[in-house]
Amino acid sequence: MEVLTITDFLNYFTNNSEQIFDYTLEHIQLVGLAIIISILIGVPLGIYLTTNDELASTVLQITSIIMTIPSIALFGIMIPILSIIGQGIGFLPALIALILYSQLPIIRNTYTGIKDVDPNIRDAAQGIGMTTVQRLWKVEIPNAMPLIMAGVRTATILNIGIGAIAAYIGAGGLGSLINQGISRSNNTMVLVGAIVVSILAIIADLVLKYIQKKFTPKGG
Amino acid sequence: MIQFNDVSKIYNGSVKAVDNVSFDVQDGEFVILVGPSGCGKTTLLRMVNQLEDITDGEIILNGKSLKELNKIEMRRKIGYVIQSNGLFPNMSIEKNVMIVPDLLGWDRKKRQDRFNHLMELIGLHPDEFRKRYPHELSGGQQQRIGVARALAADPPVMLMDEPFGALDPIIRNRLQEEFLQIQKEVNKTILFVSHDIDEAVKMGDKIALLRDGQIMQYDRPAEILNHPKNDFVSEFVGQDRVLKSTSLYSVKDLEQTVGLSPHDDSARIKTIKENTSLRIILSMLLNQEADHLVVEDSHGNKKGSLTLDHIEKFLQVEVREKNDGVSLQHE
Repeated sequence: MEVLTITDFLNYFTNNSEQIFDYTLEHIQLVGLAIIISILIGVPLGIYLTTNDELASTVLQITSIIMTIPSIALFGIMIPILSIIGQGIGFLPALIALILYSQLPIIRNTYTGIKDVDPNIRDAAQGIGMTTVQRLWKVEIPNAMPLIMAGVRTATILNIGIGAIAAYIGAGGLGSLINQGISRSNNTMVLVGAIVVSILAIIADLVLKYIQKKFTPKGG
Repeated sequence: MIQFNDVSKIYNGSVKAVDNVSFDVQDGEFVILVGPSGCGKTTLLRMVNQLEDITDGEIILNGKSLKELNKIEMRRKIGYVIQSNGLFPNMSIEKNVMIVPDLLGWDRKKRQDRFNHLMELIGLHPDEFRKRYPHELSGGQQQRIGVARALAADPPVMLMDEPFGALDPIIRNRLQEEFLQIQKEVNKTILFVSHDIDEAVKMGDKIALLRDGQIMQYDRPAEILNHPKNDFVSEFVGQDRVLKSTSLYSVKDLEQTVGLSPHDDSARIKTIKENTSLRIILSMLLNQEADHLVVEDSHGNKKGSLTLDHIEKFLQVEVREKNDGVSLQHE
């Protein structure tokens, strides 16, 4: 096995910067869309589950089980199912798999965040005459925000990593670099792919941390 | 006016938290619900703003049964203060205090004026606290804000669930005094839950003493202390109930009932104001700070002197000889 030097690495990077940029963009698109859809599903679902304890434990169990499925297997399962509508490989199965993986952290954190709001505060909100919707928007969601955002952060980081595997089912993204690198025994390619994925994850985490701060009420 | 007509609350089909309770609270009256834990006092309170359903009987608020009222609207017309203050940590003090006016859709100017007024009422500087958050305040300040929030939309009725219970004794005492002053100004109809008979005696126009969901006695504090209706009441108020009752009277009450002795101008005398509580006088005399005290009216004129004998005689008259129905002004 050849020994990698920094020079090899930088050379590869500069020579292929355009393609790396395209892959990164694809990666961001895939993960970004998956997270947006996951939030739209997971947050309302998590909030709803706080009103139905039985359903909550079932849903949380199902999402936990989904998390335990190895990602490569989940992508594999998507192929026959989505082949029915002619979308067996590519962007759509990858998107769906990522959405499924995001559900546990997002739903669980939303559910826990709302449930953990001090019962005295909830009691006061009710006692002074807030409607259920007002209580949710003015009191419960703002106070659960740090936990909800922490769930979104976890899901995003997770998806950036798992998204790299989606290249195996033709979804593109930075996984393609790693994938091709492995088949060509090109360590530089593998390393560049891995490093860019890591950098992406770090940047995403920092950005979300900033957003989390913005969203967290000052009194929290 | 709040009327409780045969009100019961039954949990899980069998546990009677509130058992067939009937009593009236007149407009402007300050009524304390007191009793040991589990006696149903908090449940009874929470039934008034419908945080607890009524299993049986009815509660009538200003002539209307609660069942006829819209839950949300009626709650906005009832001030609600709880022990742990229940302030919203995500909202500034101004937003917290003004939450009900906000829900009612008051305009900005009206809200601001009201906020300034309320903060002055509770003795906190409006501009200093407006932008701050609950966690930045001390326990006593938070509880004051809780009271201000309950008063915000000027509701005729206030429900207070052990509002000063979590505070240390010194702060609790101060807030009790302050709240009595505020009540003189705002004159609300108040239901106040407490487990502390001293607090009840100090604050209430009337006390409803509960056990196992039933009212044991509903009376003015002096009646509860001086004429307990049964063993439970006398045990709950304590064997020192005569001593407790001394805090209900001032020197002026004593003067009107048994009179004072003429005073001499000897060198070692202590003077006291007419409105001093008998409890303090008693303590001073027992402490042997002086064997007699000279009473002054608010203009500084000496009116006479009193000794332990006077207090003994007064308590005999009040406790043993006066019958029910004699009006005693409780301050």
